[in-house]
Amino acid sequence: MSRLDALKTRIKEALPGLECVIGWQKGYDALHNTPLFIRGEADVDKLEWGALNVHNPAVYLPSFAGKKVGVVVKGCDSRSVVELLQEKLIDRDNVVIFSAGCDGVVDIAKVRAKLAAAGLNAGNAEKVAVDGKTVTVTAAGKAVSMPMAEVAADKCLRCQFPNAVLADAFVGDPAPQVQAAPAADADLAALDAMSVPERMAFWRYHMDRCIRCYACRNACPMCVCRDHCIAQSREPHWLSQEDSVTEKLMFQVVHAMHLAGRCTECGECQRACPMDIPVLALKKHLNRTIHDLFDYQAGVDVAAIPPLLQFKLEEDNIKERSW
Amino acid sequence: MAEKIGVYIDESSVAPLLNAEELAAYVKEKCGGACPIVKAHKRLSSPDGVAMIKADVDAGELDAVLICGTSPRVDWDVFTFGDKVLVDRVNLREFVTLSYKNPDGSSVAAGGPIPAELRSMVQDYLRMGVVKMQKMNRPNPELPETNRTILVLGGGFTGMNAALAAAGAGAEVILVEKSDKLGGRAAGLYKTFPMNYPYLEATDTGIDRLIGLVTGNSRIKVRLNTTLKLLAGAPAMYEATLASGGNEEKVPVGSVVLAAGWTPMETEALAPFGYGKFKNVVTSAEFEAMVKAGDIKRPSDGKEPKTVVFIQCVGSRDKSLDRPYCSGFCCMYTAKQAILTKDHIPDSQSYVFYMDIRSPGKMYDEFTRRAMEEYGARYIRGRVAMVYPKDGKMIVRGADTLAGTQVEVEADLVVLAAGAEAAKGAPQLAEKLRISYDKYGFFMESHPKLKPVETNTAGVYLAGSCQGPKDIPQSVGQGSAAAAKVLALFSKDMLESDPQISRVDIKRCVGCGKCIMTCPFKAIKEVEFRGQKKAEVIETVCQGCGICTSTCPQGAIQLSHFTDNQILAEVNALCQS
Amino acid sequence: MPVLTGKELRIVGFLCNWCSYGGADTAGVGRFNQPTDLRIIRVPCSGRIDPLFIAKTLINGADGVLVSGCHPRDCHYAEGNFYARRRLEVLKRFLPILGIDPARFDYTWVSASEGQRWQKVVTVFTEQIHALGPATRHENVSPELLAKVASAIQGGNRVAA
Repeated sequence: MSRLDALKTRIKEALPGLECVIGWQKGYDALHNTPLFIRGEADVDKLEWGALNVHNPAVYLPSFAGKKVGVVVKGCDSRSVVELLQEKLIDRDNVVIFSAGCDGVVDIAKVRAKLAAAGLNAGNAEKVAVDGKTVTVTAAGKAVSMPMAEVAADKCLRCQFPNAVLADAFVGDPAPQVQAAPAADADLAALDAMSVPERMAFWRYHMDRCIRCYACRNACPMCVCRDHCIAQSREPHWLSQEDSVTEKLMFQVVHAMHLAGRCTECGECQRACPMDIPVLALKKHLNRTIHDLFDYQAGVDVAAIPPLLQFKLEEDNIKERSW
Repeated sequence: MAEKIGVYIDESSVAPLLNAEELAAYVKEKCGGACPIVKAHKRLSSPDGVAMIKADVDAGELDAVLICGTSPRVDWDVFTFGDKVLVDRVNLREFVTLSYKNPDGSSVAAGGPIPAELRSMVQDYLRMGVVKMQKMNRPNPELPETNRTILVLGGGFTGMNAALAAAGAGAEVILVEKSDKLGGRAAGLYKTFPMNYPYLEATDTGIDRLIGLVTGNSRIKVRLNTTLKLLAGAPAMYEATLASGGNEEKVPVGSVVLAAGWTPMETEALAPFGYGKFKNVVTSAEFEAMVKAGDIKRPSDGKEPKTVVFIQCVGSRDKSLDRPYCSGFCCMYTAKQAILTKDHIPDSQSYVFYMDIRSPGKMYDEFTRRAMEEYGARYIRGRVAMVYPKDGKMIVRGADTLAGTQVEVEADLVVLAAGAEAAKGAPQLAEKLRISYDKYGFFMESHPKLKPVETNTAGVYLAGSCQGPKDIPQSVGQGSAAAAKVLALFSKDMLESDPQISRVDIKRCVGCGKCIMTCPFKAIKEVEFRGQKKAEVIETVCQGCGICTSTCPQGAIQLSHFTDNQILAEVNALCQS
Repeated sequence: MPVLTGKELRIVGFLCNWCSYGGADTAGVGRFNQPTDLRIIRVPCSGRIDPLFIAKTLINGADGVLVSGCHPRDCHYAEGNFYARRRLEVLKRFLPILGIDPARFDYTWVSASEGQRWQKVVTVFTEQIHALGPATRHENVSPELLAKVASAIQGGNRVAA
């Protein structure tokens, strides 16, 4: 039985006791899958599993607070669920986690670029077939094959969690680890190589484009403030509505700092950005800092206390300056 | 939100560097719309200054009062005008006029042009004060429970007097003493120099009677073998952690009186005089114990000493030992000990080596004269160069600077008037209470003339020798003064002004409980509100640190007086200039 | 009132009420000579300082930010400075990725009695900020630098790719 069929079977068994099960379904074209909310048995057959399941369905869980729901997750998504459980934003008794081994998802932007290189428009995609290490997209009657390694999402290339860290129903064989240790992050390496003034110019260049749509925030499974985000409130009034680089960058700083010790690098913020602003880099940098300082990684242990909500009398890695 | 702010500028804080009227004109020009009343006054903390502000408040013209002058850590209990108006402070004294020097290190010439740096500094602080006040929320009429118990630290003469004075006025007192008995240094004294009419004879210290009064007073709870481990909170809402043996106990208290006392010097200062090497060189405390036991003997052979040499200023007024201060009471107790020696051993002769005789108290000089004139003690003005043994005697060799000669005295016993030092652990205690102390470990008062028993930690007072060496009458006076200050604090309605506590905006709270995790006081609890989890502040437990406010990502829990918007207003005032 | 161009820089201090604010008071009462660039914002506890206050201050053009609280284990609120130490250290390491020199921000501990330590901290920090010079504001990033980073970025506008 395929992973997808096994998932469907388990979901059908559990569905009577659940308000809904969140997963993925085919989207408006062959290249896109979209979130699916399974409420009846007929919906179960719409479920998809595979390289086009780019969304992180954990983002919807807090909105179901108080109701018993199921969620289908990839390995990376499961870390968001763990983090939400850890922060008591969802209740363990009210969530049933379905999962299967994940072989990685594509980055639609990379696929689009490959198609463009072949003279094709992604909007004409008719069929997508993923076969092991190759993705074949058929558009305007022409099939283009591309190595998965070249179109996979950045996070998949460095994936340490191809299998869910927490699941109630894990089906099929676990997916193999991509590599023993994650390769150095290319985004961080690029930023590290810049001088401090260059980085300021870098953010100036990118934040200039920001349209303050807050898609990055809305896609973030850890942004649970939702309607009460301090970016848009008067009490407290952290940001003005001025369309300036400083205000826009400040929002990214707010988002990143609020995620310090919480972000699982699911990458939804950057994927959702309509202006292709590399906002994930800020969170990656903070995660590296948190890891260096406190040897901590978010979203792997429900019982862990996040590093910024605790302290040690003598810190191991903080060297204070002398005067 | 304050919209009608009365701004008051304290001339005594800004003069002579700055002109209070000019500052008032600046505030009117820049912030006049928000500040209908801007006034300067010679001294705002004076009764006249407070009355002036109160009149404006009573006229209903204002919803907020901004006091621009001394640090908010000073006079914090003076500027209270009930719950109709908000009060905040701008620190122009400590942060501007006192600390300002020209960039080249020179002082500002009074009456000369005001340097641009100074002008910029004072104007920034004034604008910051106004914008912060504009964002301050209305006071909350709900009041936390307050506590008016007084914690007295130190069971010596000073502490016991403070405790009795406070208890006599009806206050509940907890008297904490780190040793196993009350009495402090005075308990080791046989007699003290005269403190009552006719000021002729050394008299009983009265310490036993005092201990009896304290232990017999139902309002005073004596805790022996106990120390203060931690003090958290605010006046009328302090929580003291008391440690005794291995046990710790948290006790709610309203204020603290520090009477930690002093300790006699036991250091290397005594060694040059042979102390520790020769048995017949003793400290004045050891000699006092002999007198108290009625048994004055040479430690070497138990014989009654016929010639006793007293050496004053051992470890006092000595820059080479980094003890430049006068210990204050040694002149008097040395005279007393010389007299007592003659009383006990009529055929004895005392010699006193001194630098100056400092006896400025009432009838004190008369007493030292009696030691010389009636008891025949020979006072030699000069320092002792060396003390060494010879043929069973101690040879004390020194200078007589009045006669201009060297003198040598063959003594049976040498008594060193060791100087006073701060009590052991005083700096650590000061750090716990966040009060200032000098390099010798003596605590610093708020102001030597104006606030001699107050500290800059609100609700913490000090008395006695922990501030600097003092004799018994001075210590008693300070103990009573501190008690009076605490009672005055408790008599005010300042406890009814808006407490600095956190409040939850229930609409914004998502019930994640991060504030509950980080609150050091367990002052936040989870409640159910229309089926949703929310945080709720237990107002009587909240101490006002604001850790919750900086923990909450959605800004749903805000510390009053230090809300995000208030701090952001200050940040913006500084960054947009 | 604008900062005195060329003479002074804008340095913002966040001081806890119980220790460092008292230490600064003590320095004033002791008439210890201090640089005049600093403006102090009083907070009850270093634990009250949201690192975002500092980020906002620096992003909005301040030349330096100094935070001072009670020494570890001496916090009036027992634990505030321990939380602060973690948050502030994370922020300090975060600033360079935003294009802000981390030397523009420092945090330290000064007790109410340490007037002289406060004087030293302010003096050293102010000298450090003067050595860095005025902070570049986003609107003043040079076109050359902007062109350099723009051309360094290829398709998809990803950092590396």
